[in-house]
Parts: sequence; C-alpha cells; structure tokens
Amino acid sequence: MRLSAREERTIKPLFSKGPSLGVRLLVLGVLAIALMVVDSRLDLLKPVRSQLSLVLMESYWITDLPGRTWQAVASQFGSRTELIAENEKLKTEALLLQGRLQKLAALTEQNVRLRELLNSSALVNEKVEVAELIGMDPNPFTQRILINKGERDGVFLGQPVLDARGLMGQVVELMPYTARVLLLTDSTHSIPVQVNRNGLRAIASGTGNPERLELRHVADTADIKEGDLLVSSGLGQRFPAGYPVATVKEVIHDPGQPFAIVRAVPTAALNRSRYVLLVFSDARTPEQRAADAAQAEEAAARAQQGQAAQPTQPAPTNGSHPAPAKPAETAKPAEVAKPATTGRPAAHPAQPATAHPAARPSPTGERH
Amino acid sequence: MVATRRRNHGWLVWFTFVIGLLLSVAPMPQFMEILRPLWVALLLAFWCLQLPDKVGMVTAFALGLAEDVLYGTLLGHNALILTLTVFLVLSLAPRLRLFHMWQQCLTLFVVLGVMQLAQLWLSALTGNRQPTLALLLPAVVSALLWPWISYGLRGLRRRYNIN
Repeated sequence: MRLSAREERTIKPLFSKGPSLGVRLLVLGVLAIALMVVDSRLDLLKPVRSQLSLVLMESYWITDLPGRTWQAVASQFGSRTELIAENEKLKTEALLLQGRLQKLAALTEQNVRLRELLNSSALVNEKVEVAELIGMDPNPFTQRILINKGERDGVFLGQPVLDARGLMGQVVELMPYTARVLLLTDSTHSIPVQVNRNGLRAIASGTGNPERLELRHVADTADIKEGDLLVSSGLGQRFPAGYPVATVKEVIHDPGQPFAIVRAVPTAALNRSRYVLLVFSDARTPEQRAADAAQAEEAAARAQQGQAAQPTQPAPTNGSHPAPAKPAETAKPAEVAKPATTGRPAAHPAQPATAHPAARPSPTGERH
Repeated sequence: MVATRRRNHGWLVWFTFVIGLLLSVAPMPQFMEILRPLWVALLLAFWCLQLPDKVGMVTAFALGLAEDVLYGTLLGHNALILTLTVFLVLSLAPRLRLFHMWQQCLTLFVVLGVMQLAQLWLSALTGNRQPTLALLLPAVVSALLWPWISYGLRGLRRRYNIN
C-alpha cells in the first residue's frame, strides 16, 4: 500500500544523522548481551529490576482488573438463594473441618509423643500466609504465575507455595511487592516425592502440561499403582515433607523401556487456584528445634486440657511459641478459610499455624 | 500553534506502547496463549516505519527491558530480540514503504519469524528450551493482524497529526 502524498512529505530524510543502523545494532546488541551475562552471573542488576518491577508489575494488576470487576459485580448481584446456599455449604464444610481438626489434634499428639520417643527433632512447625494470584506468565511454554506478595512481605527465594489441595510450586523471582512462582508442572521443575502408601521415593518432573507430572527412573518392578497419592518427601531440602503433590494416573510397563512410565496428576488446581498459601518453614537449628519441640509438647498438653472447655478456640499457648510469629500472622488462618471453599475440604496445612502449635500435618493425618 | 499541537500528541506513541505491553501480559485462555500476537514488536514496526527519527532501536531496547522485567527473563533478552527486529524492519524500510499490504504482511512474517527463532535460541541458551516450532504461530497471527494495526494506527496518526 502506497502512502498518501501528504504522509510522504512528513517522512524524514532518508539518510538521517547519527551512526548507521549496523553500528547501532552492534552497540545495542553488545549492551544487551553484556546485560544478560551480568544478570545471570551477578546480583548487580537486582535493584534495577526491582525498581522497574514496582511500576511494570502494575500492568498485571491492570490487565486483571476486568476479570476482578466482573467477579465483584457478579457477587454483588448474586441472588439471595445462591448466597444462602453457599453459606450453608460453607457452614457444613467448616463443621467437617472442625471435626477433622479434632482428629488431627489427637494424631498430632500421638505424633509428637512418638517423635519424642525417637528423640527426633523433625518436629517442624510451619507458618503459612495467603497470597493472591495476580497473573499468569504470558509465555505458553513456561508454567509460572505471579502472586501479590513479595520481598517486603517476607517472601524468600525457593519458598514453597501451595493451594488448598496440595503443593503448587516454589518462588523463583522476588520483586518488592510481587513474586514469581514456578509451578510443579514446568518442564524445568522436579520435586522429590514418595508414595504415601509405602514410602517409595521418586522424582516427579514437570512436563509443561498443567495436568501432568512424570515420575523419572521408577523401576519396572516398583510397587506403584494407579491412584497412589504422592507426597513431598522433603529430601530436596526445599519443600517441606508430607504435603500432597499428585495422584498417580497411569503406570505403563513397556518391556522396551528400562523404566516404567508413570504419569501423575497434580492434586493442586494449578491453573484454577486464585488464592495460594506461602509456607514459611523455620530456619532454626536442630537443638533449638528440639527445645521448641519439648515446649510445644507441653503446650499441646495444656491445649488439650483447654480444648475440653472450648473446643473451637485456638490454643491459648500460641503466644508463648518461640517460632518467629508476627502478631498479624495469628490472624491469617481466618483468611485461609476463604480459599478453601473449593468443594473438597483439605485446608489443614493452614490450620496448624494457630490451632495447634505443635502440629505438622503428617501423611497419616491427611488420609482418613 | 502547529508545533505545540505536535508536541502534545507525541505521547500517543508511548500510549500505544503501554497498551501493547498491557496486551502482551493480559490474561488469555490457555489454548490461545500460544497464539498471542507480538504486540510490542508490531507497534515498534509500525512506528519505526512512520516516525523513523523518533522511534528506533533505542526505543526497542528500552521496551525490551520492560518486557524482560514483566516476563522475568534475563535483562537484555527481549531487548536484544526487539532491537534486532527493529533493525530488520528499518533496513527493509525503503522497500516496505512501497510494498502492497499483502507483501508487507509477508515480509513482516519473515521478520517476526526471525525474531521468534532468535527467541528460541536465547531461551535455549538460558536453559528454557521450548520443545516445538509452535512458536512461529505468534508470527503468523501478528502478520495477519498487521493490516488492521497499520490502518488503525495510521488513522490515529492522521487524526492527531503525530509527527
């Protein structure tokens, strides 16, 4: 299409001043490559990036606005009967969860005592915080999401992220008020897992498909079958142990292959969850942890006595617990209840933070 | 009078770039994600053809850095790619201006295809290999969008006399 004569006049002279195109490409290209090398090797550019992200990350928020508004409007005009029905459902769910929590308390008690007998210091008390999803990575070949909590909220690199049903991934990039989370199903991600039924260890690698994980190097004779729950084994020192990761969907024994092909479906709703939980595992030394465990057991005993009187209240000994807990955090699990409205009641990883100081959801506690 | 009017409307170029950046991160259904047009590259191609002395490789570099922060890639990754794209467009500019629309589309498809291949190489270097050649699809979609973007922005430019 030819330009009109009027536009032709406005076009600037063909040979503009300044360096030629090739020179400019060379300079900018070298600059870009230098930037990439520096950014991949050193931490020099981190402040630049976080300053830029302060402004730029707003664009995820802006592009998310229509959807958010639509939801707000929909909930505003949601019919009364719908709301009543939802309310009923939530009440039932809350009751159910309370029931489970009581059972969990007993199991935790037992667990604490057994661990004490074993002289084990593995009693870890994990704190969680709720974050909201603000965007998906636009690159279709990666599985990453953005959440609305960042460095200023205490999020750290490598932090595990879960939703109400299981592990979702880990934090890979920190910005002041946002963070990027690499999901379990990204093709560059792997997580050490074990079969909940028999403790068989394996490594679950992402495939790039949000509904599929693959278990690597599982022997053909290994005892693993369809429907097995895979929980994190904690061996990678990154994810806490015992959180559900995936359920085995199919096991293919191909005589031509050295290993069995095991496919699993993540239990977390990786591409549907709007609220995620950030896990703060503690960085205490084993000695500290052992001391804390002793205190925690005492507290648990006291809590049990207190529970007889008022079963729905959080343990009164919460404040005395030595884990670094800001006062604000104690209020958080109230919000945790919100995201757990997804039908299947499975929010217990969130509960131990307040309800039971010594509680870590053990695999046995999750399967009633 | 004319001079002030000109100065007042130069921001529209930047406004279109902001819109382009927003569009390039706007949430889309999963299956359409792979077809997402290369908005920023298209806008850069248009403006560097129309206003070669205002929008050029430095602009592309800056926008590329912005994309890098948005996408979480290494700083300089998208900057390099967009600079290369603008370089190709600028070196083809005298011809592109004379081409028919369909020829422009075809040329842009090639340019954007080269851009996507550079993207593939760089992401492979940084350890994020994309398994398929499906990454050429955005180039196709963008080339098909070019006539509309071109007409639309030309209308905008004429209306506000952006120079």
